[in-house]
Amino acid sequence: MNAFDLLLYLALATLLPSLLAPKGRSGGMLTTLAYLLQVWLLFSLLPSVSQGGSVAACLEFAAFGHTIGWQLNGFGWFFALITAVSALIASAYATGGWERQCDHASRLHSLMALNVLAMYLLLGAADLISLFIGWELVSWAGFLLMAAPGGQSVQAALRYLIYALAGALALLTAIVLIEQSSGTIQLDALRGALASLPDGLSWVVLALVFVGFGVKLAMPPFHLWQAPAYGYADGPAAAFLGAISSRMGLFGLCLVLVQMVGLERLVGLALPFSFFDAQSLLAWAAAITLIVPTYIALTQNDARLLLAWHGIGQGGFMLLGLMLGNDLGTAGGLLHVLNHASYQAPLFLAVTAVVYRTGTADLDRLGGLIARMPWAYVTLLLGIIGLAGLPPMNGFVSKWLIYKGLLDAQMPLLFVAAVIGTLGTILSVYKLIHNIFLGQLRAEHREVTDAPWGMTGPMLLIAGFAFISGMLPGLGLYLVEPAAAALGLPMPSFDLSAIHAPNGALDMLVVVSALIGAIGFGALLFLNAGRSYRTQPLDNYAGGHFLTAQTRYQYSHHFYAGLLRVIGPWMRPWLVALEQGSGHFLDLASAASRGLYYHNGLRFLVFGTVVGLLWLLIVV
Amino acid sequence: MPDYPIYRDPPEQCRTPDAEERSLWGRTLERIADHCRARSLFVLHYCTGCGAIELPPSMTSRFDLERVGMQPMVTPRQADLLLITGYLSVKTLKRVILTYEQMQGPKYVMGFGSCTINGGMYWNSYATVKRLDQYLPVDMYIAGCMPRPEAIQQAFLQLMEKIDSGRAQNWKEYYRRYDHYLGEQQALFGEQFHTPTDVIGEARHYSLFGPETLGEHTAKLAKYDLYHPGQGAVDALEVKR
Repeated sequence: MNAFDLLLYLALATLLPSLLAPKGRSGGMLTTLAYLLQVWLLFSLLPSVSQGGSVAACLEFAAFGHTIGWQLNGFGWFFALITAVSALIASAYATGGWERQCDHASRLHSLMALNVLAMYLLLGAADLISLFIGWELVSWAGFLLMAAPGGQSVQAALRYLIYALAGALALLTAIVLIEQSSGTIQLDALRGALASLPDGLSWVVLALVFVGFGVKLAMPPFHLWQAPAYGYADGPAAAFLGAISSRMGLFGLCLVLVQMVGLERLVGLALPFSFFDAQSLLAWAAAITLIVPTYIALTQNDARLLLAWHGIGQGGFMLLGLMLGNDLGTAGGLLHVLNHASYQAPLFLAVTAVVYRTGTADLDRLGGLIARMPWAYVTLLLGIIGLAGLPPMNGFVSKWLIYKGLLDAQMPLLFVAAVIGTLGTILSVYKLIHNIFLGQLRAEHREVTDAPWGMTGPMLLIAGFAFISGMLPGLGLYLVEPAAAALGLPMPSFDLSAIHAPNGALDMLVVVSALIGAIGFGALLFLNAGRSYRTQPLDNYAGGHFLTAQTRYQYSHHFYAGLLRVIGPWMRPWLVALEQGSGHFLDLASAASRGLYYHNGLRFLVFGTVVGLLWLLIVV
Repeated sequence: MPDYPIYRDPPEQCRTPDAEERSLWGRTLERIADHCRARSLFVLHYCTGCGAIELPPSMTSRFDLERVGMQPMVTPRQADLLLITGYLSVKTLKRVILTYEQMQGPKYVMGFGSCTINGGMYWNSYATVKRLDQYLPVDMYIAGCMPRPEAIQQAFLQLMEKIDSGRAQNWKEYYRRYDHYLGEQQALFGEQFHTPTDVIGEARHYSLFGPETLGEHTAKLAKYDLYHPGQGAVDALEVKR
């Protein structure tokens, strides 16, 4: 029994505490402790998975003449580590105080543990069947976690389920095609095996895999389900899902595209009658995933939805980096998975802390909370700097790597697309922090205080990591290295604080020192001047009007009205209408077909026989 | 004769200059600062009456105020010069006082047209304020109904010269004699009148405290408890105006 077996057993055992002790906080505490052990176990696995090594689990069985088993390599390990840490933080946050306002805390803990187990089974898949088993488990566990609070989240989760089922069918078809053409299902044997497929079959497999895994990654046109499904989940669950869940799609996509097909083959796979090959097509799909959801996020008025839409957009960034195939793009794409988790989790947790205290995440009904919830503000500030990809946070490092990778790969138009996406991110994260924390404090929030330390501690901890790993990007790249080695992709040379590239390096210690120096200089000037006088918030100019606490002197509704007037014509929700239309059509069709046989046994018999005969006719 | 004391410029030479004013370094810096201030006046217009119509000709290409460093500013926090362009009613004066108190020092006030001097053609109206300098320290008046753009230009140049030579110090009087000004304001608006700005706290903070800063009128502000952080500040402002 090796450490990977122990990890799987421990992940299974993590389900137990909250099931056995549904009342009180002991279940949550034990679950958190179990996640801590999982993280420790994963770190103990690091020596065996680095340099392209892997660890096989003793869990295996035979079916259809194949051996189905599990085996963790560096690529899966990287995602598993992020999963375990995200679950640890979310669980600690829930146990630390959030669950006091929640009537289904034990369900939340056990469902999150189920998700973690399912993700380990997916990430440790050794063949296509275990990959599919893991994939289905992840989908169902994700559905249960999303639906846990009830109400509107059930609607969103059901919507996800429909998308996930369609994706799973596409994936199953792709697996059958791969097995038929290459004769094996073992992932190790399939390395580079799909490179020799004929063009037509390659396009079919690529399209099926894109649908199968792209649904989880919420790539357009499958992007509509994710934001409500993640946003309306319980706060800690939303942080967990937003940090890692949809990255499972990225994991699967890279497994097929990079490991089985190979990026060289993608470049050689030209789309007939166009300038595109498969690689640039995927890169542009990633760029669209980056831009479209980011600008949809700009229009959101619910903080949780805004963050969830950004989660989709940043997924596009990761895929964009990984599609480049050069050292900087690979490092950037994989590092962005880690970095995104490390700032998306505190962002969701800070917003959840605001919801915990004020009861709303509606950006039109908040404001001025900086004076009441300073620690939530600090967490959110660190998080949005990371999300916007600005120094000194770690999001800057991974985005810099991707930008530079794009320029190195001579893709200036994709670079511009990435910059447009980042611009949208910067605009909408300002909207987020402005509407929650800056501006006028509402009269009903005068007595609000920061969330309890049990909640503030974990979110500050992970936000602090996002800062430290921004200053010392070598920490993150050290974890990325086994993943890149397992995929067979190149990595740039790096040390603790700097990344070296032949045409320009990035030393984050220098960047952070310059930034802190400049801010410190301004602070020195400000503090030494010592003449400023603090006025109270209602001593504010409103065209000569006397302000009262009831006057809304600062409006946050319809933010960026000017920009939205310009880009609005491109943002007509035609896809939403199409989705709703096809949903209604399905409803109608199912009602009509049910009307054929419902309440009438004879008609049912005739109907069933006719359909069965028709099916036989088609098959034979 | 009115039964309230008529305001006259206080005799400058009787005041004991404070340490900062006496120091050569401080005076040199202040001299340089005054020189710069005079050449970058940001103007906040309080356009209450017909006087505003004379401003566009002064601003636009023929007379072009920007060549002497003046330009309009939309908020009082960044403005240097408050321009009252016409008659003030009792209602609008409240807004002017609020706006003036929100400006950061050094700040200057210019009364524009006869209405601000003696009520002008509204001299016998019950609702019109007759003399602006009873309520705010005015640096300069421009007489006329209306003053021509040439007169406006002339006044601005004179004000700039006054600022440059360090003689435009009336804004400090508002802090040093706040009790007097507040008394005049209370006589007009009623004893419950108060603004959200902590004039007394600012006077203390910037060492502009004078013998008349506090008095019987400012004592009436105590009950509003406006400036003690945390307690009652917001509630007090909920009083209907």
